[in-house]
Amino acid sequence: MPSVTTNSRPKPFLDPAYCKGCLRCVEACPKGCISPGTRINPATGLVPVEINLEICNGCGLCISACPEPFGLRTSPATPGAELEREFQIKDPSKLFGRKVVDLHESPGLPDEEIELPACEPLVLKGTYAAAIGALLAGCRHVFGYPITPSTEGAELMAKILPHLDGAFVQAVSEVAAVNMMYGAGGAGVPSMTFTSSPGFSLMLEGISYMIGAEIPGVFVNIMRGGPGLGNIGPEQADIKLACRGLGHGNTHALVLAPSTPQEMLDLTMEAFALSFRYRNPVVILGDGYLGQMTGQVKLPTHLRKPGRPAWAVWGDRSHRQNLICSIHLAEPDLEEHNRRLNAKYAEIASREQRSDLYRCEDAEVLVIACNTPARMAKGAVEAARRQGIKAGLLRPISLWPFPGDALAEAIRHVRQIIMVEASPGQLENELRLTLSHAGIVPPPIAAVRHFGGVLPQESEILAKISEFREALA
Amino acid sequence: MNVFYDHFERHAHGEGLKGHSTHYCAGCGHGIVHRDLADTIGELGIQDRTVLISPVGCSVFAYYYFDVGNSQAAHGRAPAVALGHKLANPEAVVISYQGDGDLASIGLAETISIAQMGLPITVIFINNAVYGMTGGQMAPTTLLGQKTVTSPQGRQPAMGKPLRMAELIAQLDGPVYVERVALFEARQRVKAKKAIQKALRLQMEGRGYAFVEILSECPTHLKMSPEATEEWVRTQMEPVFPLGVKKDLAVEPWFDRHAPSFSPEAVLGLSGAEPATVRTAARHRLAPRLGTKDLSLKLAGAGGDGAQIAALLLTRAAIDEGFDSTHIPSYGPESRGGTSYADVHIAEEEVLNPAAPDPHVLIAFNAPSLAKFAPAVREGGLIIYDRTMITEPPAFPPNRRVLAVPCTQLAVDLGRPVAKNVVALGALQAATDLLPAAGLLSTMRHVFKDKSSLISLNEAAFAAGQQVVDPESE
Repeated sequence: MPSVTTNSRPKPFLDPAYCKGCLRCVEACPKGCISPGTRINPATGLVPVEINLEICNGCGLCISACPEPFGLRTSPATPGAELEREFQIKDPSKLFGRKVVDLHESPGLPDEEIELPACEPLVLKGTYAAAIGALLAGCRHVFGYPITPSTEGAELMAKILPHLDGAFVQAVSEVAAVNMMYGAGGAGVPSMTFTSSPGFSLMLEGISYMIGAEIPGVFVNIMRGGPGLGNIGPEQADIKLACRGLGHGNTHALVLAPSTPQEMLDLTMEAFALSFRYRNPVVILGDGYLGQMTGQVKLPTHLRKPGRPAWAVWGDRSHRQNLICSIHLAEPDLEEHNRRLNAKYAEIASREQRSDLYRCEDAEVLVIACNTPARMAKGAVEAARRQGIKAGLLRPISLWPFPGDALAEAIRHVRQIIMVEASPGQLENELRLTLSHAGIVPPPIAAVRHFGGVLPQESEILAKISEFREALA
Repeated sequence: MNVFYDHFERHAHGEGLKGHSTHYCAGCGHGIVHRDLADTIGELGIQDRTVLISPVGCSVFAYYYFDVGNSQAAHGRAPAVALGHKLANPEAVVISYQGDGDLASIGLAETISIAQMGLPITVIFINNAVYGMTGGQMAPTTLLGQKTVTSPQGRQPAMGKPLRMAELIAQLDGPVYVERVALFEARQRVKAKKAIQKALRLQMEGRGYAFVEILSECPTHLKMSPEATEEWVRTQMEPVFPLGVKKDLAVEPWFDRHAPSFSPEAVLGLSGAEPATVRTAARHRLAPRLGTKDLSLKLAGAGGDGAQIAALLLTRAAIDEGFDSTHIPSYGPESRGGTSYADVHIAEEEVLNPAAPDPHVLIAFNAPSLAKFAPAVREGGLIIYDRTMITEPPAFPPNRRVLAVPCTQLAVDLGRPVAKNVVALGALQAATDLLPAAGLLSTMRHVFKDKSSLISLNEAAFAAGQQVVDPESE
């Protein structure tokens, strides 16, 4: 073997099993040491290059041309080992020594609850209340795109967040905004957006990815009239979308429906906790009225300083092994992933039902409504009671999961259900699905429905309740 | 330091060859860029700071290989995801690794808008003039005349000429460094690695956004040998996509973000919260003359009449008084000069229904509002209208108390016509004793505390409205 003492640079080394025979190294080598192979490697079915190191001067150009991480590399510590390697796949770590990785699994940092001094109630509109709720929940990252009637929430965040060293980004579109949430949420920080129906439609792609990759995030959707551009009046016609249509694939998210500015704050705060508890987006569905409505808002006793989840892709040593990803290429893997998601959905469905019952104990007419229409309905129930009709109100606060347990309880004496909604029966569909799955045959269901920015009014709900006075007498 | 995983467990569970081979075709440029990127991350010592965003396209599985924090994005959205990571943890070195379909087609809006923001992230753009993963379709960077499965006769100008991203990004104000490099020969590969190093260094030093476009080879979809593909990139691509530095600004480090604050004082202060006070006075009785525990009012006029501000003052004063209260505004589509009306409820216990379709009280500032809403006022209710602006009132339904108050005239007399809404509130207070006058005034002083010149004016306007209400005016 000729001497190579003129140059002590390390020579290239190749395990033929990791060569795809692309020949980029052949072109790169100035000395002609490498030639196209002539033998099929039985392990790979490919034809690796052949290397003659006799005149190699260790310039390394072949190594820099090789596209394979374990392809051409500098020689192992024990040259000659390659002889026994031919025709078998060898783990490079056995040749080169195992890489020293001193990673330890991140323990995660817990949230901290910090006590707040007692304060006077605030007088806030619904969107502002949601924004303050998010701040109290520890959200310092807000991504959005302006759309009426939700924008004021984002505007308030744009004003406040710089003073808290947070970030408000007005994205180029809702599509970009939701993917910024994917990034921030993937890093384990609480993030949110304010949007309204057409904008929410645009975000659905990203929501599906967030659910698939199990990323938390809170979406405040102040629903407006549709379809299409519709108008900026209040509607509830995104219930279907939020409960049944969060993008492609097997998706679900907790959907919460506040009915007062106070609940806009309380439920937004809670949404962040739920979002991290289940590693899943949470949707707050408000209507255009609620977004604009001003009312009194009492502050909680504590604010939350978020910790850092163990699963976060934070970009430090203790989180380095983490991956945020919605791809599972192998069918059994994706099936398993979906089974895990289904188990999570089932847990949410059984543990996170929320509702408010008003005068339901002996109700014979049960009015069911959420958001602002529930307030009109409450007025109507009160008026009906004054007329001697045993009316009650079930107000679902979680729309998905629909509060089936409370419904089963409330429905015992009920002889007539009246659905009140600003949508073509989307809440009723949730009710009927819930009853159907529970095997409950419901009493007759009537409806008061409005569309296009018109909300059901107390007088017509009362009139509908009164229609059943004689039948119930 | 080897920044590749020892064993590619995410690649089909690392079984057999897949544990140590990439999923890329033979001769693909991605592998070379992966090696350069991995080596650079190691050399710069940022393995424990790096977050790599994998795109959709052939490099969708970049996370199989890089032993760093990994996130995999939706098609075209990698820069948005990268921005989210960078803002969440400004210490992280965030790399958005994208191909031509991802970056220059479906993600164009994200690419350009986030480049223009200029925050320090690093975008590595692999341009091989064809869609790889979906099977050889036309890319935005496909050359004119180049045959692909969706341009089988060759790309025509009407399909769009090849998009020169490096030049496009370089003319934006946001980026500090843009270079186009290639992989077709050793000399170019050296430049490519240097460009990657520089782009990452600019981010580490907080100097700004950097974009490295890399002309790469796709032998599979160009249907050529790897060697011929290198030649094709040199002779066909390079003339259309000239190599070189497109932008290189000398910028001092500027990106310096603090950890967010969670101080209760800061959050409460910015939310407008005030310390709780102890109430001593007995609560006012709500409008005893109107005989209700849940009073509804409608204030209506043209935009600019101040109906919303008056409504908010009422709501706030009622809440300050310990009542429950709501306000719902409704505007016409115009920002100014359209219709504007407000529904207000004040309840002793709880506002059930916040809408006011049949209010107890109507305050109307213009004729259309009066004509529209007066018939809806419920029996026994009160109608206050601005007599200055409405000289010919409509016929009113019976059993409604009607007060014609010269709101605008009284406000003009005080020198500020816009104070007519507060004149109306004074009249409302005198007519109904809805809320204590002292409470209303105190709320008003509080609301206008930053505009102290308005306080005495509004007090005078309120008093003028109170005084004008007497039995003769009804």
